[in-house]
Amino acid sequence: MPHQCVRCNTFYDDGAIEILKGCKCGGKLFFYIKKNKLEKARKAAESVKLTAKEKEQIEDDVFELVGADKNRDEPVILDLESIRIKKPGQYELDLVHLFKGEPLIFKLAEGKYMIDLVESFKRLSSKGLKK
Amino acid sequence: MKFFKNILKRFFQRVFKKRGNVKLGLYGPPNGGKTTLANRICQDWLGEDMGNVSNIAHETREIQIKEQITIKNNGNELSFNLVDTPGIATRIDYEEFIKSGMKEKAAKNRAKEATKGVIDSIKWLDDMDAVVVVLDATKDPYSQVNITIIGNLQARKIPVLLVANKMDLKKAKIKKVEAAFPQYDVIGISAKYGDHIDNFYKALFKLV
Repeated sequence: MPHQCVRCNTFYDDGAIEILKGCKCGGKLFFYIKKNKLEKARKAAESVKLTAKEKEQIEDDVFELVGADKNRDEPVILDLESIRIKKPGQYELDLVHLFKGEPLIFKLAEGKYMIDLVESFKRLSSKGLKK
Repeated sequence: MKFFKNILKRFFQRVFKKRGNVKLGLYGPPNGGKTTLANRICQDWLGEDMGNVSNIAHETREIQIKEQITIKNNGNELSFNLVDTPGIATRIDYEEFIKSGMKEKAAKNRAKEATKGVIDSIKWLDDMDAVVVVLDATKDPYSQVNITIIGNLQARKIPVLLVANKMDLKKAKIKKVEAAFPQYDVIGISAKYGDHIDNFYKALFKLV
């Protein structure tokens, strides 16, 4: 399954060394993207312009939301289903997903976590579809 | 036989209630009056407040628990732990808080904490023995938040009491709430002024 660096938007295939060690840009937070949503995510990533500062803020907020330590060495993977972060301070929650009770963060392997959060772009891309 | 069953049932209910382990959750959308109702209950039976209330949404961003509240009605006693939860929303935008006069940084922080609060509220749902859903009777009850909360409580078989709050306001329409959720008891109250609060306490005995 593909992963996308939250900081620099680079996409990585599953099993890429960067997902385990951190992105080449230094980012350690990745969105986990389902294969069928990859094209949509790529397009959305191109259309969304967030400043470096905003991205950093989102990273900080996500770490705090799920109670993970930002200074940890191992990267954190986000699953993009329950929470969308459009930009810092703007959240959209998918209650149906949240009520399903799937954990927001779960350990995949030692030092590698998966967090159930939704990417920031879904809303923008759905707006695009409406037009 | 039925008679003995009833006696046994009452006995166990009494033992259970005496332990004070019954968790009664207050759930609902933001600014419906959950904390105002929690304060009303705590003031009436403990003589103290539970939490702060505000006109700006998402004032309660952490789960609040008040243990061992005992209410009395017609010689009966009911003990429970009251759990006040952060309001559940589908969209939390710091710009709304800025419109209410907050500074940007504080507004963004409030949005983040409110988001975490929604996650916590939902996580705690399975721990509840009974839930009071507090709705603002001046607002349209057919919202995604209301329907999702009530639907999930039903699926989890958690007993539910609906409260149509803010009945002191002219725009309040209890009929709309009753029509939206006909399978539930709806009690119209004003948590702020204590109107019809006795009906609410009576309904709690039925609920728990």
